[in-house]
Amino acid sequence: MQKYDNNKNVLDAAKERISFVFDNFENIIVSISGGKDSTTLAHLALTEAHNRSRKIGLFFLDEEVVYQNTIDQIEYLMNIYPENTNRLWLQIEFLLTNSTSLEEGQLKCWEAGKHKIWMRSKGKNNIFAKPWAKEKEKYHNAAKGGLGFYGVLENFQDCYKNTAFLVGLRAAGESPNRWRAVTKNPININGNKVYWGSKKGENVVLYPIYDWNFHDIWHYIYDNKLRYSKIYDFQFKKGFGISEMRVSSLIHEKSFKSICELPEFEPKTYDKLLKRIKGISFAQETGKNSKMFKARKLPKNFKSWIVYRDFLLNTYPDPAKKNLFAKRFSKHLNNEFVARQQCRQIILNDYENNLAIQNKPDPREELIEYYKGVL
Amino acid sequence: MIYLGQSSIEKNKIISEYIKENNIKKVFILSPEKLYFNCDIEETKEFIEYDNIIMYVYFYRLLQEINNDVLVVINECLRTKNRYDLTYNCIRNFLYQTRHQIIFQYLPTIESFEDFFILFDFDTRSKWKGQTDCNILKNSNININQINIKLNKIEVQTGAKLKLRYQEEKNNLIEKIGLKDPHTIPRNLYLLSGKSKLFLIDHSKKYIGRNNRFCLLNMQTYKEKAYQGNYTVFEFSHNHIDFIDFLSISKQVDIDVLVADLKVDQWYFERYQKWVEELDRAYAKIRQ
Repeated sequence: MQKYDNNKNVLDAAKERISFVFDNFENIIVSISGGKDSTTLAHLALTEAHNRSRKIGLFFLDEEVVYQNTIDQIEYLMNIYPENTNRLWLQIEFLLTNSTSLEEGQLKCWEAGKHKIWMRSKGKNNIFAKPWAKEKEKYHNAAKGGLGFYGVLENFQDCYKNTAFLVGLRAAGESPNRWRAVTKNPININGNKVYWGSKKGENVVLYPIYDWNFHDIWHYIYDNKLRYSKIYDFQFKKGFGISEMRVSSLIHEKSFKSICELPEFEPKTYDKLLKRIKGISFAQETGKNSKMFKARKLPKNFKSWIVYRDFLLNTYPDPAKKNLFAKRFSKHLNNEFVARQQCRQIILNDYENNLAIQNKPDPREELIEYYKGVL
Repeated sequence: MIYLGQSSIEKNKIISEYIKENNIKKVFILSPEKLYFNCDIEETKEFIEYDNIIMYVYFYRLLQEINNDVLVVINECLRTKNRYDLTYNCIRNFLYQTRHQIIFQYLPTIESFEDFFILFDFDTRSKWKGQTDCNILKNSNININQINIKLNKIEVQTGAKLKLRYQEEKNNLIEKIGLKDPHTIPRNLYLLSGKSKLFLIDHSKKYIGRNNRFCLLNMQTYKEKAYQGNYTVFEFSHNHIDFIDFLSISKQVDIDVLVADLKVDQWYFERYQKWVEELDRAYAKIRQ
């Protein structure tokens, strides 16, 4: 464990933070994803709840299309201290971007009437109805035509007041920018300045393990003999880089690459996914190809990224989203550098603009001019 | 501690002495494979290839194994100018776990003085992250064996025919650059000038060039793992890092360079001449 000094390490500090949260909030909810960080945080918070004979919520927004290992991990966490756990496992209908198919650009998770092709049945102890009143529902995404992942999170948080939402976000390690982002705006909790959280409406979102690194997390999991998602073991054996070792959703624009290894890691999940939604087989074959989803190399039938972008836009199957892309691109510079990024957005069906575009002059053009002059 | 310009024998000696003084039980040497050196210490040692540092299978194991009984040797790891490169961040994570590190680098920079602060960050656990003020360098113990590089220009005259072809090729390259990397312009023009230097090739001498397209027995490229004797530069490498690797392995300091009277050759020579000047400036600033 990383140490602050001889008497204190990051684990001691996290325990102190969690104790502080329990002292200052009646209602505590831990967001879990089935990954290593949220597993650690949930265990720390549940241990504290157990020691104080209190109950905390474990919140999991089930996207349906996730690894079976993730589901097993969530079930495990819910049952560490069931007497101290409020099971907030949401299995409700919402829209999820499917970056693997332009024809079926969105997946309606847990869609009513399609239970025969759901990835799995809903768990009997889970929440199947939206926990907020229909008339109070907010955060509809116009582009999506309904409630998306973040919309559900916002509505869920709005159901509570004076609640501490604990999130297993870590800022120590490979990203100094994330550290700055987490710690730059401290909040005030009952007269205490807290650097590891942010205000969210009438609630607060707190990051008690923000200063832990990879090593600390795995150390904690090992020391406490916690179960963890076996996907990490598979990825480790395949020699994944540290930034690729992630257990997240399978189909959105930042995670589609995980489909490439899915048949090896979880063949049954892959089989179900093939039946559930379009584009999976194609993504499995081409997810890591530089000419396809990554849009790194220009396919040889196109002369330039601009031509390729125009082709993709003209043949985009959904007229509503096509206009969305066209409107967004009209504000951008028209050069090869920007056009390549636009191609990537269209190919990955990123109508929500999650993969931000760097709208700047093409650095290549500047360099070509320079060489023209000096050579 | 940062050591600049050490030979393999000196590196070995420094490591051995450090181990004795600090009761070190294991040594990890992070290094590009072609710059591995012969380390004949008795204690357990392991070389970690530079490209493998970011691989989880190495990164996490090293995080588990590195502690205060372990010495981390960072050998010739100045490979990219980005101070916040993922590999550098991983190395910093290793260093947070031990008090013992030795940094070896043959030349202190890649292109500019600011590059040296990457090594400084390693040595100071990034305490002065983002700063490039010379005054903070006093917080690090730097041992300098200055390498004075000297480039000697050997002029090569070309005919009017080649000059005309050069101009045509330049226009052609710029016109057809399309989506290709703009650096292909000087690279390809430089290849064109190669033929004009062929008549100067002395078979008793050794040369270094971009590739061995002329199938010469005495020509080597920048990708070799070992160089014997003195080399004349037939062509410079486009990337400084390849040239630095050549200097680090060959230890050559006085270098003859064939320079044709074409603009591209002049441009490459001036570029490296400026690079040598910047190197000298960097040494002066580090010594301050």
